[in-house]
Amino acid sequence: MRSRAPRILVAGAVLALVLAGCGSKGTQNPTSTGDTVNLGASMSLSGSLEKEGKLTQQGYDYCVSTVNAKGGIPVGGRSLRLHIDYQDDQSQPDTAGQLVDQFNDKGYKLILGPYGSATTGAAMAVVERNGQVMVDSSGADDTLFNRGYRRTFAVLSPASVYAASIVDAVNELATPKPRSIVFLSADDGFSKTVAAAGEARAKSLGLTVLPGQQFPAGATDVSSALTRIKSGKPEVIVGSVHLAEGIAIIKQAAELAVTPTGGFAETVAPPTPDFVTTLGTKANGVLSSSQWVPEVKGSDALFGTATDYRNGFRTQFGQDPEYHNAEATAACLAMVLAVRNAGSTDPGKVRDALARLDEQSFFGALKFNDRGENVTKSMSVVQIQNGKLVTVWPADQAAGRLIWPGTNG
Amino acid sequence: MTSFLQATSYGLLQGGLLAMIAIGFSLVWGVMNVINLSHGAYVLLGAYIAWELHAAWGLDPLLGAVAAGLVMFGAGYAVQRSLINQVVNAPIFLTLLLTFGLQLVLVQGMAVVFSADYRSIATWYASESLPIGDVRVPSGRLLAFGVAILATVVLVTFMRRTRTGLAILATGMDRNAARLMGINARHAYALTAGIAAALAGAAGALVGLVGTFSPPDAARFTLLSFVISVLGGLGNMYGALLGGLVLGVVQAWAGQYLPGTWVNAVAFAVLVAVLIVRPSGLAGRAFYEARVEAT
Repeated sequence: MRSRAPRILVAGAVLALVLAGCGSKGTQNPTSTGDTVNLGASMSLSGSLEKEGKLTQQGYDYCVSTVNAKGGIPVGGRSLRLHIDYQDDQSQPDTAGQLVDQFNDKGYKLILGPYGSATTGAAMAVVERNGQVMVDSSGADDTLFNRGYRRTFAVLSPASVYAASIVDAVNELATPKPRSIVFLSADDGFSKTVAAAGEARAKSLGLTVLPGQQFPAGATDVSSALTRIKSGKPEVIVGSVHLAEGIAIIKQAAELAVTPTGGFAETVAPPTPDFVTTLGTKANGVLSSSQWVPEVKGSDALFGTATDYRNGFRTQFGQDPEYHNAEATAACLAMVLAVRNAGSTDPGKVRDALARLDEQSFFGALKFNDRGENVTKSMSVVQIQNGKLVTVWPADQAAGRLIWPGTNG
Repeated sequence: MTSFLQATSYGLLQGGLLAMIAIGFSLVWGVMNVINLSHGAYVLLGAYIAWELHAAWGLDPLLGAVAAGLVMFGAGYAVQRSLINQVVNAPIFLTLLLTFGLQLVLVQGMAVVFSADYRSIATWYASESLPIGDVRVPSGRLLAFGVAILATVVLVTFMRRTRTGLAILATGMDRNAARLMGINARHAYALTAGIAAALAGAAGALVGLVGTFSPPDAARFTLLSFVISVLGGLGNMYGALLGGLVLGVVQAWAGQYLPGTWVNAVAFAVLVAVLIVRPSGLAGRAFYEARVEAT
């Protein structure tokens, strides 16, 4: 006699699939459950951007604890608690897009951005298609905002400002003024946009821009690029990079005796604590642009001033915040303010509230243009001096003087 | 000319380190027909051991490499004996799955224990360089290169001149015949895995000396090891060394004379070209190639 067990198993599997299917495509609405606002966030909790992803997560978590400690978000006469659900995108753009889609299937309409321009770009397309709303904390590539999307808002300054700010600072503060500059860039969209804008700015200021070099994003060997620029004797070397490539530039430049008479500058990497801990004294003198410094003007009711933010963050995490933390908290703050102003968690109303947002905060101005970029906020320029980040530009934020040449830092 | 010499010397030194990373992977593949996808995690474990010893007692990473090698020998032996030996006769797909899973566990474990922070083992000499004319030879990489060459020579001597080494080679050629000769195949496999893990761990310490590392780098080290093993060929102890040196120099030349983003494309193009001309790799033996195909 044949066993009936396989048929029962098949029937059970089919039933499970049918039931699972019934629960998909947004039939639930957990964006607001009871007294809680639930946000979804795809995050680089593993993979090549794990470090930066976890810094971003810290910034979001600090926002949650602060908002809830201050009574939650006032919505329609009630105070709603804030909660963020994270999913690991393994630093893969495709996975980030899939996770944001899955959030939509589960009814999550309000999204906080993943880490980085590539993952944010993938998430943006999904958000637009699903009618979700996303506040972007770290996707700065200007080209992301040329696609006509209307449901993503970025709190941070765009990529085109990163290296241009450094060029402006050097041009304004360095004595003697450098005459030549070269840009080394990773080959991802963000880094290339940064380098192109930096080169354009340098040319407009009359500097000689030597032929730039590119290497694969995430490269730990940039020796070829350094060897190629060595003979041109650039006075300033600017790395348009993330952390791994940024550390490699300084380490391998020392090995190859590539020493610019002015100094090194890099985007993204130097404000990350690992830059100093990994490079030690070799990090001194390196310039960088930063989305946020504790000297930023402005304040808000939740986090106070930038100094208050630093102190509160330090109390919770035992370390000073850097800009990846701050931009994440600012993105969360923008979403919280939009929900409050909209008086609802309805994604359409929250989207309109974000488009109208015009607030000062610990992060500076939060106001978006019609492309969703925060162009009213400026970037700061910092220099590593004795292992510490010191804000040197613009003048109204400066906590110290630029040491020049930076290679003497 | 200076830039050519600079690129070539740097590529050779880099290639030596790559060879050190890959040699254990190649050994395991050649002897056991196991493609160990957790090899990159072994490299990183060695790096963390050396880093911890340096942080705690200021131990130089070159000595740390010895310590990492010893610890990883034990770990590699134990993992092989308790885990991989259970499926070593199964189709290669199963060992791929098992070692891939092991890699995931180890990488996540390292991320939990050590965090995702980038680390480097700072020494006074690693970033110094010896000037030879206009060419700079980085001291740290030169030392790492020397260790890689030494390790390869010691490994070859051990495998060809000792009874244990010959037993391992014999087991790799024909396990049943080796067992009939009284060789304990399980022990021979575990010894092989231990030696491979020891070399990977020592290589990790050298990576920490000249570069940076964090848990997500494991996949990159495994991929490099795979490419170098295929390029160099299986069945010849010098294959991985040759493969590493070729890869290092090709990458350096590509970076020097082509747009920098072509580096990986050129490296893989060379791999494909070599496999078309010599399917068994630069120094590989056809026996091993045929065996992999037959499995």
